[in-house]
Amino acid sequence: MGLSGREAEERACQYLKGLGYEIVARNWRCRSGEIDIVARDGNVLAFVEVKARSGRGYGGPEGAVGPVKQRRLVAAARRFIQQTGAELPARFDVVTFLGESVRLYKDAFRVD
Amino acid sequence: MFARLKSGAVLGIEARLIEVQCDISNGLPAFQIVGLPEKEVSESRERIRSAINNSGLSFPSGRITANLAPADMRKEGVGFDLPIAAAILIASGQLPTPSDEIALIGELALNGEVRGVPGVLPIALEAAAKGLSGIVVSEENAAEAALVSGISVYPVRTLGDLVRFLRKELDIRPFTSDPRRLLEEAPEAIKNDIGEIRGQAQAKRALEVAAAGGHNILMIGPPGAGKSLLARCLPEILPPMAFDEALEVTRIYSIAGLLERGSSLVVRRPFRAPHHTISYAGMVGGGHGLPGPGEISLAHHGVLFLDELPEFDRRVLETLRQPLEDRSILLSRAGVSVRYPASFMLVAAMNPCPCGFLGDPVHPCTCSLRDIQQYRKRLSGPFLDRIDIFIEVPRLPVDDLFSPGKGESSREVRARVTAARRIQWERMKDRSGLFCNAQLDSAGVREYCTLDEEAKSILKRAVARFSLSARAHVRVLRVARTIADLDGEKRIKAAHVAEAIQYRTAAADLGG
Repeated sequence: MGLSGREAEERACQYLKGLGYEIVARNWRCRSGEIDIVARDGNVLAFVEVKARSGRGYGGPEGAVGPVKQRRLVAAARRFIQQTGAELPARFDVVTFLGESVRLYKDAFRVD
Repeated sequence: MFARLKSGAVLGIEARLIEVQCDISNGLPAFQIVGLPEKEVSESRERIRSAINNSGLSFPSGRITANLAPADMRKEGVGFDLPIAAAILIASGQLPTPSDEIALIGELALNGEVRGVPGVLPIALEAAAKGLSGIVVSEENAAEAALVSGISVYPVRTLGDLVRFLRKELDIRPFTSDPRRLLEEAPEAIKNDIGEIRGQAQAKRALEVAAAGGHNILMIGPPGAGKSLLARCLPEILPPMAFDEALEVTRIYSIAGLLERGSSLVVRRPFRAPHHTISYAGMVGGGHGLPGPGEISLAHHGVLFLDELPEFDRRVLETLRQPLEDRSILLSRAGVSVRYPASFMLVAAMNPCPCGFLGDPVHPCTCSLRDIQQYRKRLSGPFLDRIDIFIEVPRLPVDDLFSPGKGESSREVRARVTAARRIQWERMKDRSGLFCNAQLDSAGVREYCTLDEEAKSILKRAVARFSLSARAHVRVLRVARTIADLDGEKRIKAAHVAEAIQYRTAAADLGG
């Protein structure tokens, strides 16, 4: 059995902290969608999506952040910046769990 | 965080300096290029991102906007990759702002390599004219950019090289060359020597006269008589190119992307022989977006050879009329118009009839009179009007074919042609834009073509006998002037006029 969503997010936070990220918010929700983790990586605001899969089927965890999901994340991130008034360059990261192995995709996708 | 750098874009054979501005602001990650970029410029975003990441640098987060100013001019080409990448690195604090005013131009490969782009020469010329101190280009464009004096050329192999260079960790020695020596040391070897052609003494002489006066020439003869071979010899009996001429030709080849990799100056006169299926845009220039140079501009300062003249699309031939007069072509499209130089010698060849054997002593012609008329009607009067010399190139008699004798070499002929051209330059040096007899209009003919008494009476008789029109009359005089120049005579004599009249008689059949 793979990790549950909750467990994966918890482990992703630990992992990011280990890399020097500063967690700003978790499971930030708005009308447009949900952001798993919002963190600061030095001078950059990182919106992190966490994905866990038990196996390589269905394209693996990386394949799960498709265009629809991306759009939802972008919309949510916009709202986050609006509401918090954060004035930082932003980035979208993806953390994936495949069984026990964890990977971080920095700057996984962009708005354009 | 804001950065600005210089780059350039070509507009016809001219270039304009472009300011590449880059701003990185807070917000969601996005990368936009504005300032009227064409598709290939917008696509550079992906190349730039990969090249930066693969060069051990980091592509910044946040909102990146690159602007190409002036924003009202359409930007084409891939040469902006390098300056945009550098501006992003400067704006994100990964690179210092260059201390000198330098321009950058080059395409980026995904792995960070810098590739050559067309049009570097005009951009380097413009950068030097605007007082910039240096230009950064790819290694393959370095020799071309170094033709420009007064600007340092820094060749870079990769984006990493550029970064180390601007951080002053890497010393790049400016690429230098002595372009004038390139021209002087151009291989003397002659590829198509007119001396290798057997027989055809008359045609060779006509070619020499054409070369000496810059006259357009039409050769009429059966297949296999050697018309193409004769035409190919022409560039090498023309006087060698001056440096400015060579630079102009190189400019056009640079824009067209036809400079061979790593080569610099075009030292030989161009010889262009487009196939008769050529389109209008291929001949005079055009294409989508910014119009590119056509065959007539690629033949600038050289020879445009049209084999099988009547087979060319008539519309295409008619478009040649104006550039033959103006020695340049103005291409106007929605929003842009560019002028390309097109000062070429037209050499055309055709068969006397569709089957090719009319007038052949051995082979009978199988064409009907109607066929022949139809064939010749494909050439319009106004077009034939631009041709000064008509010469028949008959099938070679068997004896000539096997004769061992060699004719004069191209080098000897070229010496005479060059001497005749020099006389013309001297004579017309006060008249701007005029450099050869072929350009003389009727006023010029009146001024420069003085005949002695005997020559006058011969011309008078010829005008009556062949019922030469006023225009044909002017053309005979122009050609006679050239023949006299070849002889080094100030006044045109009877023999000169007589030879010039010969070059018209073949035209009578064509209605020219």
